[in-house]
Amino acid sequence: MELVERLTPSMRRVARMFVSTDAVADEVVQEAWVGVLRGIDAFERRSSLRTWIFRILVNTAKTRGQREARSIPFATLAGDDLDEPTWDPTAFDTDGSWSSLPFDWRGLPEDRLTGKETLAVIGRAIEDLPPMQAEVIRMRDVLGWSSEEVRNALALTDTNQRVLLHRARAKVRAAVEAHLRSVSA
Amino acid sequence: MTTQIACRDLLELITGYLDGALPADVHAAIEEHVAGCDGCTAVLEEFRITIAMTGTLTEEQITPAQRDTMLGAFRDWAG
Repeated sequence: MELVERLTPSMRRVARMFVSTDAVADEVVQEAWVGVLRGIDAFERRSSLRTWIFRILVNTAKTRGQREARSIPFATLAGDDLDEPTWDPTAFDTDGSWSSLPFDWRGLPEDRLTGKETLAVIGRAIEDLPPMQAEVIRMRDVLGWSSEEVRNALALTDTNQRVLLHRARAKVRAAVEAHLRSVSA
Repeated sequence: MTTQIACRDLLELITGYLDGALPADVHAAIEEHVAGCDGCTAVLEEFRITIAMTGTLTEEQITPAQRDTMLGAFRDWAG
């Protein structure tokens, strides 16, 4: 029961990437749990239990999405900016070194840096990410899963997992910087 | 001949670096670069701080408000 409570919020978000409504996503999650209970004897400890559960969920969600004739291109889920640099190219000289040093917010007072407001900024920045970027950073940095678990759970390649995470972190870092810049001005 | 990395390229490798997922020569080149570059030192550190702060968020703070109709159903069902 505890596992159900712990995994369900992430499972709903992941299911929702592949199907059209919250209600259908809920059905997918329930269906996936039924599949988990049915198949639990076949679970081999080659992967973690939560990874295995997510694989069942993702397969269930994809099947349901296909039945809904709702086939979503990977680029829509992952974001269409994966090939672009994460940093403003004008910050660099032609040789790729800093043309002027970036705003350095590390020395700001602790309470301002890590206060509630900053955390709220991070939460909003994550919500604004393309769905797959948002889910990867939630799993890696909020829930503390390993890169291998996330890659397996979401059926991503090693490279895609890292690109999605890096892009997500870069945007969250930039949001924190913009916030700190505005409150320090 | 040691590997050299420009600041612009280093920034794209930070997550791979923090995961220990890069080839040894690239990993070493990043450490050497960062040791002599204030801008990259700052950004690398800011990534670490941001990741640590992100890690203090709770599930509630990252879940859009929709909650609990289904968890309720599950409780009934699982007893």
